[in-house]
Amino acid sequence: MSTSEQDIIPVQSIGVPKPLVDGPEKTTGKAMFAADFQSIEALVGRILRSPHAHANIIRIDTSKAEALPGVKAVVTEADCSDSYGVLPIAMNEWALARGRVRYRGEPVAAVAAINVATAQAALDLIEVTYEELPAYFTAADARADDALDLHQEKPGNIEREVDFDLGDVDQGMAAADLIREVDVRCAEVCQVQMEPHAAYAEYDPGRERLTIRPSTQVPFYVHKMLSRTMGMADSHIRVIKPHIGGGFGSRTETLQSDLIAGLLARKARGTVRVVLSREETFITHRGRPESHIKMKVGMKADGTITATDFSVVQRGGAYSGYGIVTILYAGSMIFGLYDISSVRFKGFRVLTNTPPCGAFRGHGTVKTRFAFEGLIDDMATELGLDPFAVRRANLLVAPTMTENDLLVNSYGLDQCLDWAEAASAWKVRKGKMGPNKGLGMACSHYISGASKPKHWTGEPHATIHLRVDWDASITLLTGAAEIGQGSSTVMAQCVAETLGVDMSRIRVIASDSAVTPKDNGSYSSRVTFMVGNASIDAAQNLKATLVAAAARKLEIAPEDVECLGEVFRGGQQDQGLSFDEVVMEALKGEGTITVKGTYDTIPESWGGKKYRGAAIGGTMAFSYAAQVVEVTVDPYTAEITVDKVWVAHDCGRALNPLAVEGQVQGSVWMGMGQAMSEETQYHEGLLLHANMLDYRVPTIIESPPIEVGIIEANDPHGPFGAKEAGEGSLSSFLPALTNAVADAMGVRATDLPLTPDKLLELLEKKARDIKASGRAA
Amino acid sequence: MEFMPQMQMHQPTSVEDAVSLHGAAPDGRYLAGGSDLLVNIRRGIEQPDSLVYVNNIPEMRAITETSDQITIGGAVTLRELSGNSAVAEHFAAVAQAAGEVAGPSHREYGTVGGNLCLDTRCVFYNQSEWWRAANNYCLKYRGEICHVAPGGKKCFAAFSGDVAPALLLFDAEVEIAGPDGRRRMPLADLYRNDGMDHLTLRPGELLVAIHVAKLTTSISSAPIASAYAKSRIRGSIDFPLAGVAVAMAVAGGKITDLRIALTGVSPLPFLAKGMDDFIGREGDETCLEEIRDKIRTQAKAMKTTTTPPHYRRRVAGALAQKLAASIF
Repeated sequence: MSTSEQDIIPVQSIGVPKPLVDGPEKTTGKAMFAADFQSIEALVGRILRSPHAHANIIRIDTSKAEALPGVKAVVTEADCSDSYGVLPIAMNEWALARGRVRYRGEPVAAVAAINVATAQAALDLIEVTYEELPAYFTAADARADDALDLHQEKPGNIEREVDFDLGDVDQGMAAADLIREVDVRCAEVCQVQMEPHAAYAEYDPGRERLTIRPSTQVPFYVHKMLSRTMGMADSHIRVIKPHIGGGFGSRTETLQSDLIAGLLARKARGTVRVVLSREETFITHRGRPESHIKMKVGMKADGTITATDFSVVQRGGAYSGYGIVTILYAGSMIFGLYDISSVRFKGFRVLTNTPPCGAFRGHGTVKTRFAFEGLIDDMATELGLDPFAVRRANLLVAPTMTENDLLVNSYGLDQCLDWAEAASAWKVRKGKMGPNKGLGMACSHYISGASKPKHWTGEPHATIHLRVDWDASITLLTGAAEIGQGSSTVMAQCVAETLGVDMSRIRVIASDSAVTPKDNGSYSSRVTFMVGNASIDAAQNLKATLVAAAARKLEIAPEDVECLGEVFRGGQQDQGLSFDEVVMEALKGEGTITVKGTYDTIPESWGGKKYRGAAIGGTMAFSYAAQVVEVTVDPYTAEITVDKVWVAHDCGRALNPLAVEGQVQGSVWMGMGQAMSEETQYHEGLLLHANMLDYRVPTIIESPPIEVGIIEANDPHGPFGAKEAGEGSLSSFLPALTNAVADAMGVRATDLPLTPDKLLELLEKKARDIKASGRAA
Repeated sequence: MEFMPQMQMHQPTSVEDAVSLHGAAPDGRYLAGGSDLLVNIRRGIEQPDSLVYVNNIPEMRAITETSDQITIGGAVTLRELSGNSAVAEHFAAVAQAAGEVAGPSHREYGTVGGNLCLDTRCVFYNQSEWWRAANNYCLKYRGEICHVAPGGKKCFAAFSGDVAPALLLFDAEVEIAGPDGRRRMPLADLYRNDGMDHLTLRPGELLVAIHVAKLTTSISSAPIASAYAKSRIRGSIDFPLAGVAVAMAVAGGKITDLRIALTGVSPLPFLAKGMDDFIGREGDETCLEEIRDKIRTQAKAMKTTTTPPHYRRRVAGALAQKLAASIF
């Protein structure tokens, strides 16, 4: 394909709606998820779980289970070399409980057997003697003076107490025209990703090597924790990430089921398949903690916020997990959205006898944002200000550094507000909605990856390999975990755009530790920003190689080569070389082309202020969102219908508008579940909600039309200007919903989820109050 | 999901064969749509050694209409029932209730007989074997205490079928086949107020059909107006937190007939008492509020769901009020 037509132009891949590159496998059912791997010799792995919420393990006798015909392995903590955890400073969990169980359902032992009936029978034969201990299911109970410590090294059951006092809060409050407080309680919620947890582990007894396919967002962390738990060399383990049915943070840390699959496979010296039930997936938890927030805000008559003073108590569950990060985010991420300078924060992360919480989409930011946006909405009403006006009175101007030293290089919140206001016809409809109908709005933001990695090794944040061989196809090798969010598509787009070639030239191979470069994984919306930039870097390196080859062949200087993607030429008069011809030239004397690209954050984004936890929240770029929610409330039953949502999301350059729209709608929808119906409930630590009936994820009937406005306030450091797209518009749904209900019914909801029973109580209280004041008058 | 134990499955084509197959394997169960039973089997609540599948029995698959009544086969699916025009014309609440059960895929294979014979439900009962064992089981199955009302000896597991209250409005009868032949009884007599043992079926008995006479208003030959509504957190899938069926006729602005039946708030579906008191009343706001309050006091929901009973009692009244208002 060589031509001298004048209209040769590079193929555009960025900014173009693109179907996801792994779509065909998923829509045809060919995609293999962890539970889809099966073979004749695969054993069934099943887990024995603690019936007690808090108990010492006196004795475990597995002899009867081991003697049962068909049982190939039984494992307990004795088979574990070490503890594990996601934060290097808080690795206090064991794949199988050691010495003590701390929540109902915690894994105690596991078996591998020839079939499920034998495996279940073996579990029933394992004898565990427990000594029950007092158990604490609320943060308040766990913090009581006489409470027993869940972990010796965490006195008072405080995982972490954090505080900061920035600016001058007292002076800010003194300068305020209006000070109001709110007391907010938000239920614990789970991700409920479509695919329950599973792992398929193959042990090669001859070579003493393990290959595992876990359902994870973080194959690298799973790799590290497998070697630590199993006492194996890192190099003896291969982690291959299969297709993943969603994560939303439930798999941003290694899960027991991943480790148990490895332990069982080694002990059975074979292949073991561990597939958790939905109940077990709920027990594994790692969702968003129940939180109690008290917040006080000072405001000038014009809506300017003068000070914010707040506390957050999180019920973290039985182990550390991400807890320290979550409670730090709950404080630090009050910044970055508005121009606020005086903030005092006190946070407590509490250990309780409930399943461990984790990092849920919008990590740490959601409940704080709910409290803040509801409070300033009420204050706006009281001051006679429009909710949009009060937000506009507090906008940042980029570039800037926040009071807690977070870098804000790009800022599209003003444009988000304009879009949401216009699209919802707010100005003409607000206040004129008629009985039982209302409009509410709120704003939110999120990071584009944490600037400092949890495991500081000195390596770049992201590394991409590109390989081109004689067939002239481009193989993109990445460790970044495609979990359904579209990361492999974005990388292919970045490489295709940089080279100007069609995306069909590119094959993405993701997350096989034997093949692909290391990546920290898919969490905190880091992949598009960091791995996207590494992809561009790699593609530029490949382009330089190809241009040099084209220059040789065309006998011109490299700087005179015009690279048009599929055609390289010296000028318009030149017939040029096809991509394939350039590749053939580049291979001469060199063989297969392999290039690398990397990405690193800049130190200015690391958060330099000298206070504890200051780095948390540091990012290269923030996304911004504003949304308007329209509701109708049934006055008989207090059921809320969300009629429509208008959401503007500033993701910088929208690399793939189709995927951005899907991510934003998904975020709004997930926020809706948390706002309206989803919550965990426990009976003395037993999960009442561990199924799809009692944990109420919205159905398609509850799903409103969600109109998305993509705002492109490009970030100077983003890949083609792009920023985060998959989390930032979650948290503004919650306050926008309760603000809309306040508009419709005149009641302020502070407890989430706002189920009809809670709203009915608010409405009845209001009716009683009106009656009482009528009598008084 | 937990694993499915091995079972033998029979597929008879007549009621008599079904009954005799069941008689030969007394630990078996009749299976229709399976949307309730199979979940309970996986959870270890039911452990039958065989299943007698009744959906291939032609007699149980038909809806037949005569001039004065309609017969609904026990294995008619909820989708078929909700879409049947004769049912919709004469028993609107029945068609609506069938259309409100769970989600579309459940209604595609769930049957009216299955919905009438649904096991009672409780958040302490509809859990896995591991869960129930960790909680020392409960009064309804293998345990000694009721976690809903500790100290009591009564099981409060709630009947949660949607169709039963709608049929109760019309004094429906059920036809039962068993080892001793066939019998007919009022639908109301199928139930007893005991969450542990809420069905009066004898061992081996099968609900073959429902017979329901066309009911007219007391002052004309028009079918009586009726409607069904249920409270649930989500608009699909969920069982009723409270379900309310109302049949009402109005003439000259005054109530001439009123019947209200409830489900989801006690171990059995039942017709509310005292509705005749409203005959002759005008359907003003006061009257509707009195209907609401009267239903509220009879809806004695207990803590059998994750939604508080306080709301379920109130919403039962609210739905009765709303439905009555809509018929006016």
